[in-house]
Amino acid sequence: MHRLTAVPPDFLDEPRIGTRGTVRVDAVVADLIRHYGGVPEAGRLTVFTGQDPGRERNRLAIVLLLAWLTADEWFASHGVPVEALLSLLMEAPPELARQTASPAFLTDPDRREEITRLTLARLDFRPAGESPAQAQDRLTSLSATERARVIAAARAGELRARAIREALAKKAADESADKYTRE
Amino acid sequence: MSQPSPFPEPDPEPTEAERYPTLTAAGRRMLDFLKEHPHAPLYRNQSGNHLTAAEVAQVRQFEEEVAAARLDWKPDAPPRWRDAFVARTYAEVPHYRKLGGAPARFTDIPPVSRADLSHDLTAFVPDSAPLERMINFRTSGTTGHPLLLPSQPVIAASYLAFHKRALRRFGVTLLAGSGEVGVVLLGMQKKCFTYVSVTPSQNEAGLVKMNLHPDDWRHPDDRALYLDSLKPEVFAGDPISFAELLTLPLNWRPRALLCTSMALLPGLRRCLEERFACPVLDLYSMNESGPIAVADPATGGHVLLQHGLYVEILNDQGEVLPPGERGEVTLTGGFNFCLPLLRYRTGDQAALDFSGPEPVLLGLSGRPPVRYRTADGSWINNIEITHALRPMALPQWTVHQARDGGVVLHHSGDSALDGPVRNILQALFGADHPLEVISTSFPEGKIIQYTTGLSDPAAHPAPAAAPSGRSSEPRIQSGPATR
Repeated sequence: MHRLTAVPPDFLDEPRIGTRGTVRVDAVVADLIRHYGGVPEAGRLTVFTGQDPGRERNRLAIVLLLAWLTADEWFASHGVPVEALLSLLMEAPPELARQTASPAFLTDPDRREEITRLTLARLDFRPAGESPAQAQDRLTSLSATERARVIAAARAGELRARAIREALAKKAADESADKYTRE
Repeated sequence: MSQPSPFPEPDPEPTEAERYPTLTAAGRRMLDFLKEHPHAPLYRNQSGNHLTAAEVAQVRQFEEEVAAARLDWKPDAPPRWRDAFVARTYAEVPHYRKLGGAPARFTDIPPVSRADLSHDLTAFVPDSAPLERMINFRTSGTTGHPLLLPSQPVIAASYLAFHKRALRRFGVTLLAGSGEVGVVLLGMQKKCFTYVSVTPSQNEAGLVKMNLHPDDWRHPDDRALYLDSLKPEVFAGDPISFAELLTLPLNWRPRALLCTSMALLPGLRRCLEERFACPVLDLYSMNESGPIAVADPATGGHVLLQHGLYVEILNDQGEVLPPGERGEVTLTGGFNFCLPLLRYRTGDQAALDFSGPEPVLLGLSGRPPVRYRTADGSWINNIEITHALRPMALPQWTVHQARDGGVVLHHSGDSALDGPVRNILQALFGADHPLEVISTSFPEGKIIQYTTGLSDPAAHPAPAAAPSGRSSEPRIQSGPATR
């Protein structure tokens, strides 16, 4: 978790998607694979490039955070299979991105703990001093809390959207207000 | 037992107190004068300023702020408010909140277009926008995405601040007040929303939105008689309504003409300037942002008007183009706090120029007016088609008239709509007019909604001769442009 409080600016920069952003996330992942003694295959890295900044920016920003986290010497010294690493980078970010904006993994202690525990769990580790059940319980609890927050926010968002639609629709078709010109 | 309707009921008709919360006896007299005049047209609708006394004060203060504002930003020195605006938009607007934090670099913010607004407008309304006094403005959908845009009475009233700034460039300061008519907004459509009102920030000067189409008048001659009687300080309209205005034997000379909605061709502008002996302001304005710029021949382009609006020019890939290069006009900021714009692609093309004291849009090509010839030889404009198609659930459509007069409408709605759409067009163009309605899918990207292969005689209008005797002179002769 401490490592997430000291992420270098390069890993926080904008993921390259199309013509926008600067960090080539596929290149970062390729470096990580080499760091763990693997050979990056171009075909398997395409998932780390995006097409639509609106939809994929958050996921790729989380990939960068995970890449920084898993590049820690602790993981290297304990041996991480490249396949497990790739699975983590491919499967965890879409799940996390659906619920949480990437900056929260740096600023919110619970989200920092969640992403750290998720990383450990997916790589078959657990925090020192915890049993597998304890580790799983804590992760489940963190994820459930976040999920509940997201569901509540989504519900509030839906209510707000409906209120806006109603506020607009309630006005008689052209009963608006005076302007000196009309477009 | 009947089920409750899933759709909200429209608000009951507003009362006069709601339409004109600050109305005085003088304002009341103005409304009566406008409506009860013996040559008045048929006013089909009602509207009002809806402004409270506090909002009137707010509008006046905003006018002072706009008048004093300097637009001195450059591509390498963006306006100081921009970064805070981006942060606030990412925090308060659902569409952006979903994207995560704001990118460190402004140019990494993905641009949005009208299609994005059309997909889910509510996602672009900030959490802080109050809903109690929300109003809407319906856009005509010239790019194929008709929209109902959120606004507030105070936002609508704030347009005038930018009109005044634009008019000052041409030496005109608006003076109309109590007992006078400030503006007449002219339409020239078979069906047009028309009403009378007063402008409280102008001491209840009258405001009229009227239709010059003869169907709205007891006698076509009433049009000139009524306008001469109103003596409006300003006429506002589009090239089509102004072309009609040129045909009327009008004596009155307004102090300025404000032209919006469509590109004003230089030939028509010259005709209007000569006929009315006053400046004709070609405003670049859209419902999403309000007035953006005004054409000033002294600068060779359209001078930006809003100090809270940052403009970029983007290429098709969304990359920023340097000054002088032509691309899509893209907006950030604006004064509509119900719809903050963040890299909003307008669909209009221009280049930016910074050689003068204020940014200028060069070679702006907006949306040219398109008229269509009907079976009986009369002409209708594209807005009438948009109006007529309103009841139809057409997400996007295009209309083209071939050189032989045949009309083809392509739409991306359900093919079951082909018949009803055809009936609507047939009613507009005439029972025997050759028509085709085709449901189709539009490939990704922009469309040009209204096109024609016919030559339009309105492009070179023949103005009516000015009447020999003026019943009154303009109150103040407008001076030359300030630059």
